[in-house]
Amino acid sequence: MDYELRSVSASYGSEPVLCDISLSFAPKSITVILGPSGCGKSTLLNVIAGLKVPEGGARLGFDAARFSYAFQDPRLLPWMRARDNAIFALLGAMDREEAGGRVDRFMQAAGLAEAADRLPSALSGGMKQRLSLVRAFSFPSELLLLDEAFQAVDLRTKLELMDVFLELWREEERTVVCVTHDIDEAVYLADRVVVLSDRPARVLDQFTVEVPRDERALGAGVTMEAEARLYRAVLSRPDFV
Amino acid sequence: MHPSIESKRPRFSRLLVASAAVLLFLLAWKAAAEAIGKDIILPPPERVLGIASTLYPTKLFLDALAGTFLRGLTAFGFSVAVGIAAGLAAGIWPLVDAVLAPFLTLIRATPILALILLALLWFPSGFVPIFSAFLMAFPVMATSAAEGARAADSRLLEMASLFRVPRRSVFFQLRLPAAAPQLLAGARSALGLSWKVVVAGEVLSQPLHALGTGMQNARVMLETGQVFAWAFASVILCGLTEWVFNRAAKRTARHGL
Repeated sequence: MDYELRSVSASYGSEPVLCDISLSFAPKSITVILGPSGCGKSTLLNVIAGLKVPEGGARLGFDAARFSYAFQDPRLLPWMRARDNAIFALLGAMDREEAGGRVDRFMQAAGLAEAADRLPSALSGGMKQRLSLVRAFSFPSELLLLDEAFQAVDLRTKLELMDVFLELWREEERTVVCVTHDIDEAVYLADRVVVLSDRPARVLDQFTVEVPRDERALGAGVTMEAEARLYRAVLSRPDFV
Repeated sequence: MHPSIESKRPRFSRLLVASAAVLLFLLAWKAAAEAIGKDIILPPPERVLGIASTLYPTKLFLDALAGTFLRGLTAFGFSVAVGIAAGLAAGIWPLVDAVLAPFLTLIRATPILALILLALLWFPSGFVPIFSAFLMAFPVMATSAAEGARAADSRLLEMASLFRVPRRSVFFQLRLPAAAPQLLAGARSALGLSWKVVVAGEVLSQPLHALGTGMQNARVMLETGQVFAWAFASVILCGLTEWVFNRAAKRTARHGL
């Protein structure tokens, strides 16, 4: 069953943030929500997760779903070793032993097995973010929400992280909603890109990325072509700042 | 330079400076005692050392030391346990903070002697120092624990809440370790305070086996040298327990809670 937002509006006080948003998310698909900084993308994620109650419209299919998260900052407990950090997030969903098994599997897939016993202070920025992804994927959720999860690292690490993300997603496919303001990232990851306007956010356009995921690579012809189409579409809209 | 040599050198020079300071203090004490010339007012250090070496091996002293040690440890243990529980609760829930705040202010503002005098009316003499020390050390511990609970990173708490981590795990694996620096600082202050108040309470309540009782008896007999010897014993007891505590705290910081 698809997850659906129908004519959702939300505001903070008297300031409207989301305006008449209607979107559906197919199971096991990756939807990237693209919009300028401060347009209300994170608010949209909060509405999807049920953390913000919308003033109007309806959320359909989300109530029975479990969510997991990856944030822009990895949010790791500094006194806990890498593996235990991921296990900690799973303790509400399963016992420690089962959680350990799942975490080990995803740490292996993310290339973090060697760093399992290290404290976060002994991990690089990219490794911390990878651990944050491992934690999100290890949690048995139906929906995975990524809030600018690839933004706080350098370009090389970002490319590496996006590949790790896709590797983990292939390991256990699930519905992903990812918000970003980066067009490269959107085209590289998404099955579908939703473009939001500046605040109050409205859906300006939606694109299906036709290029098969295996053929996508940043700098490759097919990917650049898809990016160029998206750039042209986005820049032709006066309300996308 | 090899790191172990690098770290040993400042420690060695620190020890050297501390030893020089103690030596200077002893010389000043000796000079003052010579100038006054009356043991009843200020006995010289070598006389106090002589009295201490005779007093410390006696059963009277060892029983007193054991009594004070147990009282201090009991008061410290209670103030830490109750202080952590109340302080963390106050740091997490504003309602508990609002209930606790006036009591902590009241206890902090009450003179220690007034507390001991009241305790003398209410409790048997052996319990007075424990009660007084508990009341003095508890607010210190509770305030530190409350600060520690408030120090927990709100982004980590949000992460735990989004992943629906059980409250018990959030408390023991997130809030408690996040509060550890404040808890250790509070416990260190509470420990020092406990010894001081326990001995003060013993001086006034005169329990059977107590350093404070020995001190007071020596004062009544005008044995100033003995007063010094009893007082040194309480200083050594305080210093030794603080040393053990600091070692344990460092170990905890290295290996986690």
